[in-house]
Amino acid sequence: MIKKIQVVILATLIALPVLSFAGDKISGQQIVENVYNRQTGNDQQADLTMSLINSRGDERVRTIRQFTKDFGAMEKKIMFFKTPADVHNTSFMNWSYDDENKDDDQWIYLPALKKIKRISSDSKSDYFMGSDFTYDDLGDRHPSQDTHKLIGEEMINGENCYVVESIPKDEDYMYSKTVTWIIKDKWIGLKKDFYDEDEDLLKTLTVKKFEKISGYWIILSTEMHNVQKNHTTKMQLDNVKIDTGIADNQFTERMMRRGL
Amino acid sequence: MFKNISAVTLLLAILFTAGNLHGKSVFISGYARNYTGMLLNDSREYSIIQNTFDLKFEHSRNRVAFKANPYFYQYFDKDLKIGLREAYLDILFDKMDIRVGKQQIIWGKADGVFITDIISPKNLSEFLLSDFDEIRMGVTALKADYYLGDNAFELVWIPIFTPTQMPEENSIWFRTPAFPIMPVFDYSQKDVTASLENSELFGKFSAMTSLIDFEIMAGYVWDDDPTMHIQKTIDPATQQLSGITLLPQHHRLSIAGGSFSTTVGAFVLRGEGAYYSGKYFQTGNPTVTDGITDKNYLHYLFGVDFNIGDIRISSQFIQQAVLDYDDQIVNDEFENMATILLSKTFLRETLKLDLFSYAGFNNEDALIRPKLTYDFTDGFQLLLGANIFTGDEGRFGQYDNNDMLYFKVKYSF
Repeated sequence: MIKKIQVVILATLIALPVLSFAGDKISGQQIVENVYNRQTGNDQQADLTMSLINSRGDERVRTIRQFTKDFGAMEKKIMFFKTPADVHNTSFMNWSYDDENKDDDQWIYLPALKKIKRISSDSKSDYFMGSDFTYDDLGDRHPSQDTHKLIGEEMINGENCYVVESIPKDEDYMYSKTVTWIIKDKWIGLKKDFYDEDEDLLKTLTVKKFEKISGYWIILSTEMHNVQKNHTTKMQLDNVKIDTGIADNQFTERMMRRGL
Repeated sequence: MFKNISAVTLLLAILFTAGNLHGKSVFISGYARNYTGMLLNDSREYSIIQNTFDLKFEHSRNRVAFKANPYFYQYFDKDLKIGLREAYLDILFDKMDIRVGKQQIIWGKADGVFITDIISPKNLSEFLLSDFDEIRMGVTALKADYYLGDNAFELVWIPIFTPTQMPEENSIWFRTPAFPIMPVFDYSQKDVTASLENSELFGKFSAMTSLIDFEIMAGYVWDDDPTMHIQKTIDPATQQLSGITLLPQHHRLSIAGGSFSTTVGAFVLRGEGAYYSGKYFQTGNPTVTDGITDKNYLHYLFGVDFNIGDIRISSQFIQQAVLDYDDQIVNDEFENMATILLSKTFLRETLKLDLFSYAGFNNEDALIRPKLTYDFTDGFQLLLGANIFTGDEGRFGQYDNNDMLYFKVKYSF
């Protein structure tokens, strides 16, 4: 009988911490889905400044005015390039879909040609305007495209973070894996390491500033550093306005041609 | 010359005083550019030395806006050339825009080929080598667009006809049509009288959807390119041909067509086609008045854009078909052409290598245009390029002796 009691006590002692951890436990998949589903408002407008800094420290700056709106099953985004002067009034529009099997639709308006061209969104590994961000880095990658694994927890800049390793299901994807530090209570990816096909560290994305605007956590400043080529791209959002009721017709051929 | 200097002074005065208009700044942009070209034949002559100053003034308030785009071209061997590429006013309504004034209007999905894109005439004074915004001339027009979601209806009324600008007679791009004896030009019937009756009208419906973008258009227009009426003089004594007079004359055309572009996986597919009614062609039939006959014809294109690795590729196949063809017509029944563009960027998009080429299949001729562009710093561009013509005859082969190397420096602001 005593032996039986001892076995029960031992079993309970072993099981308790396990049960307690299992109650809190969240999977890598759930963490990434929480980041993906973090609410950022129904529409957003902002001024984007992109600074390209090469290994010698020379800086080139692009300024863009951008508008985004959620249309339910799709999200529309339009960007108007303000500087440098030779791309002034160029505009770019992207329609992305919740359906992960449907590719984005993209158009670019080139004022010198006075023509809107439909472009393929297939080249997501292309770098955006010579920056260190690929088109895919800038978009919302669907969580189902990778296998996510929670590999630890770490404190960064005073924020308690989950560390999630994501391995793409598509073996031909440009990165072999990414590791993301995600703030526990805000579902913001504070830092992300990108590994190349040889599994060497290629780039590190760092969030420099985020703020609560109109009740939503919004990332305002990021920096992508290519550690292999030693160049960096800084992105900064200013004049962010959320849920101002941007008209549906802001995302049309008419507005692409009209410009700002 | 004094007129030119006055105009320059006036414009510069506007430039430096136009900082503020009703509290909102006039937005000024533009570029300064040097363009130097050298022929690669034995002469090594400069084909062009051109200094350009191009200005754009833009201003808007509430529901109205204006834009003016004056330009200056300075040559070492010609007078200063001043003009307005565009100068128009916009009135913006909730679902409608109206634009009145001189404007460039570009339609269609084709690149470097003009099928439904026939509203703004071409400036061919340097053949097809100028930048596209310089090839397309502004026309004085009233344009109205009505928008319904992602669809648009556009109507364009052009009260005054503007023809294609052909190369000057002393230009290396000027070609006299081949005749047994040197023809004489008679320009007395070339101009189209500016009148309501002689205006042009265009209409277009366009849609931009996730599945496909398309345009359907029609127009009652003038042929931008003049038809050469040929009048032959026979010596009564010898019954031999003693003279040929060419009378360039523009004719009415009716046109209907459309274009589309769509994405299939990694490929963008494009198409454009138009049916022209009333186009005149030269004929060898001696019984036909003025050596011309009018035929309907089709002009269409299929194109595909895709990437191989980091190289962007865009190719097009183009065909012109004369309907109800007869063998005496000088043009071929079918004229086939292709274009290809290969493009790759280096050094974080500061260095760009382009290779664009037109290839004519009927005459086995081509224009090959390699180009290297370097952004020395933002808004300051260095460009080295070549224009290589191959073949002996045809649209490109006729310029086989005009191969050139050129250099451009451009400062944008």
